[in-house]
Amino acid sequence: MLNRIYDWIDDRIDITPIWRDVADHEVPEHVNPAYHFSAFVYCFGGLTFFITLIQILSGMFLTMYYVPDVVNAWNSVYFLQQDVAAGVIVRGMHHWGASLVVVMMFLHTLRVFFTGAYKAPRELNWVVGVLLFAVMLGLAFTGYLLPWDMKALFATKVGLDIAGSVPFIGEWILTLLAGDSTIIGAQTLTRFFAIHVFFLPAALFILMAIHFILIRRQGISGPL
Amino acid sequence: MSQKVTRRQFLNYSLMGVGSFMAAGMILPMGRFALDPLFKESSAGDMIATSVKVDDITEEPVSVDFTYEQKDGWYVSEVTDFAWVYRDGDKIIALSPVCKHLGCTVSWASDANNPDRFFCPCHNGLYEKSGENVPGTPPRGPLDMYEVGESDGFLTIGAIKENELV
Amino acid sequence: MKHGKGLTFVGDSRVQKYDKPKLNRDYSEFPGRTEEFYPDFLLKEWIAGAVFLVGFLCLTVAHPAPLERMADPTDTGYIPLPDWYFLFLYQILKYTYASGPFNIVGAIIIPGIAFGALLLAPWLDAKKERHWKKRPVATGVMLLSVGIIFYTTWESVAYHDWDQTHQQGQIVFSNLDAEDPVFNDLIRTNCTSCHGGELAGGSGPNLIEPELPPEMVESFVRNGSGEMPSFEGQLTDEEITKISEYVAGLEEVSKDEATNIKK
Repeated sequence: MLNRIYDWIDDRIDITPIWRDVADHEVPEHVNPAYHFSAFVYCFGGLTFFITLIQILSGMFLTMYYVPDVVNAWNSVYFLQQDVAAGVIVRGMHHWGASLVVVMMFLHTLRVFFTGAYKAPRELNWVVGVLLFAVMLGLAFTGYLLPWDMKALFATKVGLDIAGSVPFIGEWILTLLAGDSTIIGAQTLTRFFAIHVFFLPAALFILMAIHFILIRRQGISGPL
Repeated sequence: MSQKVTRRQFLNYSLMGVGSFMAAGMILPMGRFALDPLFKESSAGDMIATSVKVDDITEEPVSVDFTYEQKDGWYVSEVTDFAWVYRDGDKIIALSPVCKHLGCTVSWASDANNPDRFFCPCHNGLYEKSGENVPGTPPRGPLDMYEVGESDGFLTIGAIKENELV
Repeated sequence: MKHGKGLTFVGDSRVQKYDKPKLNRDYSEFPGRTEEFYPDFLLKEWIAGAVFLVGFLCLTVAHPAPLERMADPTDTGYIPLPDWYFLFLYQILKYTYASGPFNIVGAIIIPGIAFGALLLAPWLDAKKERHWKKRPVATGVMLLSVGIIFYTTWESVAYHDWDQTHQQGQIVFSNLDAEDPVFNDLIRTNCTSCHGGELAGGSGPNLIEPELPPEMVESFVRNGSGEMPSFEGQLTDEEITKISEYVAGLEEVSKDEATNIKK
């Protein structure tokens, strides 16, 4: 039955080539932990992707309760964590996932670096990966403010102070990020929310798509 | 014009022109929208009256409260700040109590070893009476100061600015 | 439907109609034992992912995501700390040659060089050799950077006063009335910079939990205690009495009651 449905769809839109591109390729021995246990280092990229998926999903669900507003933001987070069933788990996934994604990405970067996988012809994918790293750190920084609790506010204050100390354009950067040249408040929170939920994820999706298409196109780097 | 523009080139240029127009038409309003904070004057500015008489201010710094309405975009809230105020000759000096290291609050003469300095309890930062940071302590610069004025004999406090005594 | 060049399409669409070739896998490109990604290898990856997920879910249940009390920009006693993965940068900014007049070194130049070098690694290390042992400079620089990141993070953690960090952000629901003139005029200027914006503790202790009689509070305010300075002389007797009565009257209440008082 399933096969018939597949064939029916395939007859019309020819999805087999797409499907083969995604799934039908060989995994060489040197990256397979079943043969060489040390090859587990090749898992970090996949785990980074897995946690990123968790982040996207949990973040989408968190916005069902969260409001980016100085009066209500903290209360909505307190409510979703204390009074909503599984709120502890969903917010916990997003909070701890943010830390883990940084760890996994760090390990993945080190793996690629020490196996020399960034060398010709894969330079472009390395550059995309480093940009992904920067986007992730941006997501971590902007997301930290959103619960609007004490540590969020004051950590952001320090972060913005650092941005403000850039010569010549520091004041501009600070004003653009905070929405006001002196106050970290209502406008900062909405700005960080927009950046965290729309702008950076858009960049993340585009870069991730390029990252994966390039991997498929170039194949995994050979054994050392 | 000696060079001939082919039909294909002409169409390409037209495409680029119309494309740029559409891109600009979308991005310009949105860009100006996002950049607006850069062109807005910061809300601080008005002189705020305090309950302290100018004649009562001595050379010993005292903390003076002032409350003002802070307008953060659409969000208006009442904020109470304070300044360290003292008399220097015939001038009145009002220093911001915000430490230039990590933003803690400094207090006058609260460290027994430094009776004539501002002291920050967080990381033992020290400032001279003029607000100048003592070298070798964590702060990155002198304390900020407020504009001061007088209204009916009472002290008024205005915008925050960089320290001019140092 | 037939078009030119003998191609056949599905209906009037642009999808080509052809006899689908049998899946023909040729795994001879790589030496050694290769494996199909789907389904063989993917299953192993998913098992690893499932194991990871179990651990991850246990973590979220065992350690709820921390939430401190609501942000209060006027609470000047709070000592900030960034999230752990930015600690190394925060620590670098404390070094003498990366802070004060050299702040630009720590804030811009060092992170800029590090990020730029990472971004341009394929061109900085352009030789064909891939094994890490055979390119000592690249490996050495990377190991050094990782070492510096680990060391500065550790240093930042080791020198931080964690007791205060845990206390200063605690969510405490109290009957504290921020509109009360005693709080606004006296306590906000004299007490909150150490005892926290809601008097729930900062660099100084929590004033809400202990059930102190007014006389005891008064003696603390008058004489000081430990690091707390004496306020005798700075405040009038009347003010000290007011503060003492206010602080002695503070107690913990439920969240709903606290919200009512604030309104």
